[in-house]
Amino acid sequence: MVLLSVVALLVWRGADRGVIITLWVVGVVAMLGLFRFHVTSLLDLSF
Amino acid sequence: MASALADTSAVVEDPAASRGGPWGFITYWGLHAWVLAYSVVMLSAFFIQFVMGEFPCPLCMLQRYGMILATIGALFIIMQARRGELTTARYAQGLGMGMIGVLAGASVSVRQIELHILPGDPGYGEPFLRLHLYTWAFITFAIVMIYVGVMLMLMPRGIPHAPPVGSAARKISTAIIWIFIGVVAANVIAIIFLEGFAPVLPDDPASYHLIDQLRGR
Repeated sequence: MVLLSVVALLVWRGADRGVIITLWVVGVVAMLGLFRFHVTSLLDLSF
Repeated sequence: MASALADTSAVVEDPAASRGGPWGFITYWGLHAWVLAYSVVMLSAFFIQFVMGEFPCPLCMLQRYGMILATIGALFIIMQARRGELTTARYAQGLGMGMIGVLAGASVSVRQIELHILPGDPGYGEPFLRLHLYTWAFITFAIVMIYVGVMLMLMPRGIPHAPPVGSAARKISTAIIWIFIGVVAANVIAIIFLEGFAPVLPDDPASYHLIDQLRGR
């Protein structure tokens, strides 16, 4: 979340596009990593 | 056939020709509606968290991440338009960021919906208008997906066009942007209180860990 707030401020400040998009991609990867961490069980939805 | 293709490429390579007019106005304020709507959604989540006393689970927080990631895409386009630097390629980059953000968020929503899909399961938290918050989150992600699709279909017509510096519309635009940045900052503070010194949220939070840890509990 700290990273995302930094990215939002960089967008507002008009930082280099490469920096913004790189940090944003890091944010996506971090989010997906956290998602993977919190998915601890296989959902058996075969009714 | 060849001449028709040539005509099409001439339009695509001249985004400035499609600036201004009603489409540029509509898409510019459409992006603000996106930013403001997600700010209101996250403020509503704060209301439920602080006033109604429901603690957000890790999947709930991840859906907020998805909303913020997507909205940064919209913010990226708005800021480029305000500086007069927006090109068709940059517009597409911002829309792409938005699409990936909502796909990531929707993945989390679907997982949480499936966790509570069995008959008799009460779901997580109190429902709002008969649907749980994660179901509403999925609906918002789907709306943004459709919005981005429509914006892509409208290209190159409809490249957002910012109002002039010093105008009332420009001030409203600035206010909406700062509301969003304020909401993101508030989320940073909220998650620090929820996690405390732990690297991740507990699976079923029932208190603010930082306060517990500082009190030695």
